[in-house]
Amino acid sequence: MTSFFTGKVSFAIKLVVVLLLSALLLTLTQSAFAQKEYFIAGFLAICILLLVLTYLTKISIPLKFFLPGVLLLVAFVLSPILYTVTMSTFNYKTGNIVSKGEAIEQIKNRGFESDPDGTSFDIKIGRYEMQEAILISDTINGAYFISTETNRIPLVAADLTINEYGVAESAPNFETLSDADMATADEIYSLKRFKYEDEYFIALEGFEVGIVSRQVLSYDEVKDQFENIITGEIYTDNGRGNFAIADSPDQYLEPGWRAPIWFENYTKLFTEERLRGPLVSVFIWTITFATLSVLTTFALGLLLALALNKPIRGRRVYRSILILPYAMPSIMSILIWGGMFNTEFGAINNLLGTEIAWFQSPTFAKFAIILVNLWLGFPYFYLISSGALQAIPSELLEAASIDGANPRQIFRRITLPLLLQILSPLLIASFAFNFNNFNLIYLLTGGGPRAELDGELAGATDILISFTYKIAFGGAIQDLGLASAISLVIFVLVASISLYGIRKSKVLESFQ
Amino acid sequence: MNLWLRNYAWRHALIISVCLFSLFPLYLVVISSFNSTGSLRLDSFIPREISFANYKLLFTDPTIPYMIWVKNSLIIAGATAVLSVTIGSASAFAFSRLYFRGRKAGIQLLLLVQMFPAILAISAVYVIMERVYTFAPSIGLGTQAGLLLIYLGGAMGVNIWLLKGFVDSIPKELDEAAKIDGASAVQTYWLIFMPLAAPVLAVVALLSFIGTFNEFILARLFLVDMESRTVAVGLQQFIGGQYSENWGPFAAGSIIASVPIVIIFLSLQRYIINGLTAGSVKG
Repeated sequence: MTSFFTGKVSFAIKLVVVLLLSALLLTLTQSAFAQKEYFIAGFLAICILLLVLTYLTKISIPLKFFLPGVLLLVAFVLSPILYTVTMSTFNYKTGNIVSKGEAIEQIKNRGFESDPDGTSFDIKIGRYEMQEAILISDTINGAYFISTETNRIPLVAADLTINEYGVAESAPNFETLSDADMATADEIYSLKRFKYEDEYFIALEGFEVGIVSRQVLSYDEVKDQFENIITGEIYTDNGRGNFAIADSPDQYLEPGWRAPIWFENYTKLFTEERLRGPLVSVFIWTITFATLSVLTTFALGLLLALALNKPIRGRRVYRSILILPYAMPSIMSILIWGGMFNTEFGAINNLLGTEIAWFQSPTFAKFAIILVNLWLGFPYFYLISSGALQAIPSELLEAASIDGANPRQIFRRITLPLLLQILSPLLIASFAFNFNNFNLIYLLTGGGPRAELDGELAGATDILISFTYKIAFGGAIQDLGLASAISLVIFVLVASISLYGIRKSKVLESFQ
Repeated sequence: MNLWLRNYAWRHALIISVCLFSLFPLYLVVISSFNSTGSLRLDSFIPREISFANYKLLFTDPTIPYMIWVKNSLIIAGATAVLSVTIGSASAFAFSRLYFRGRKAGIQLLLLVQMFPAILAISAVYVIMERVYTFAPSIGLGTQAGLLLIYLGGAMGVNIWLLKGFVDSIPKELDEAAKIDGASAVQTYWLIFMPLAAPVLAVVALLSFIGTFNEFILARLFLVDMESRTVAVGLQQFIGGQYSENWGPFAAGSIIASVPIVIIFLSLQRYIINGLTAGSVKG
């Protein structure tokens, strides 16, 4: 048996496995490199190097044990966290997603306006003398011509096939696109400008309409600014990811780009009233919710543990029923409770004979959340409390009782303090867990109710994490930069709560 | 009689009322699953009809690939559980028993990283997997393999931490004796630690299985195809709409999916509680 770990056979097996894995990773590295994903390619290359070094040489024995775990952690936990940290210093939000170069290109392409009359023509797209061209029918004046990017060729109506609406279907030397070409036509044609007259050109709107337009914005590469040719307004880089007019910063060009704004996402949390107000109320509710959840679940759990602490009839059955809510997959339970609180079809109103719109009133919604969380959480505290009750030495209780203490005194003076001491790390862990209990809020109330009219994102039952999720993924403006900043604030809060709990439980003792 | 009342009656009264509280939603789901009207209303405590229409729908309707969802959940959660415990236990062993530079810093970093709310890293994970998709479509965004990788990474922190706690509790004399007898670290791990840890590994694997089974947000974001969804994501769509009319199939589906988990949980409760009190909270 022991020779298996040192023998030649095992080395051969190891060699094959490591080489196969490396080969797989190498192909991935190559394709990542080909797609210009240099970060990922670099990470994969380092993985291969470490794999080969660790398992085929004797460079480090501990590394053999923890390398796979560490690589997974780095790839899917650590790097997303670092990415979040980076995003929090950028104005990364809807309208500022692309890089600056892409933003300039897009502004140039969009920076035209139609002529004062809003003239538009029916067109056909195709090719003329090997160039991309459009066949234009000016149905009002009965004029026809072909435009390429550089030329405009007038046509005589007699040479054309004209349909009942007066639109030219085909012309000599003009080939309409084949079906295969149509698939990629959007990419090729949508950004082209076809010759019209003077500074005016024809831009496509879809494949059948052309609009007479002229360029309004021109980009000056040296000065890094856009100029509006007609009004003379100058748009300069405002250092925050937009080209804006220096004197009126609210007038800026779309789209912007992601630019570093350092701590602005963080200072915004304190300075911007529109954000600070909801944040304060959400924060207060988060603390209230987590505290109430821990208190109610612990109180009920402890009460049950005390009640079942004596050998009473049916204990095993009781115990099994009591932990059912905990054994049930929580995701299903939350959804079921959500249905039970439905105003019209739900069992709760049905049972109480009421017509309460549970999730439309902040107070009722909050009550519902605490109740559901009590249902989900009390079995856990029942289980650990009964474990802890048994851990209290019976001599202590006997001694107290001999000294004349009544049961209530024994509980208040001895049992409870000892229990709290044993369970405090778990109580703190439970608080930290509820602080970020996203699933419950998201699936039960969705954070609501909220006053939709004033465009507020935060609902009455939103906790910090669900509010942040909304900032990042809900709403019309998805502000990933701001959401990342709040995430890190939450992280600091939760980490300090948990570290306090761990220090209390002294699990860190072994390496202090 | 008076003594019985004082000592026992309040206990039974309290316990029975809490039992009713905990059973009520479950009972409701059971009767709704046999009710063909599809509402979660309680018209009477005793069901007026017993219809298997909802169950039949799940297994026969071609637009509801329920069995595929169950299979997906089992595969994803099962693979996450087995792989994360295998990889995690090796790391835990190293962190607990082997001495190397940066060990203390490593443990502290592990602890810290684990506290980052996973939901909030979603956008970053999404962007990363979107990029992976461009060069490796089989493990990128929208694939179960990609989701599995993310779950593995996410489970690693908790599992290493839980298992490290367990390895710490194994007497050091055991592996010192093995060392004196000439065993290498790898041999100590396989021949001494693994047999001792097998029951604990099973519990941690089970917890990871349940945790993954319960995961919703990432699964919904990642698995877009009807055929690749997990049970939780698949079932949620019955009731996700504005009208709560499809509770029947949802109830039937969640009963089928939950019963095995509940049974495993109840039969292994003693071991699970020990695993939980090692410092984690059900998530």
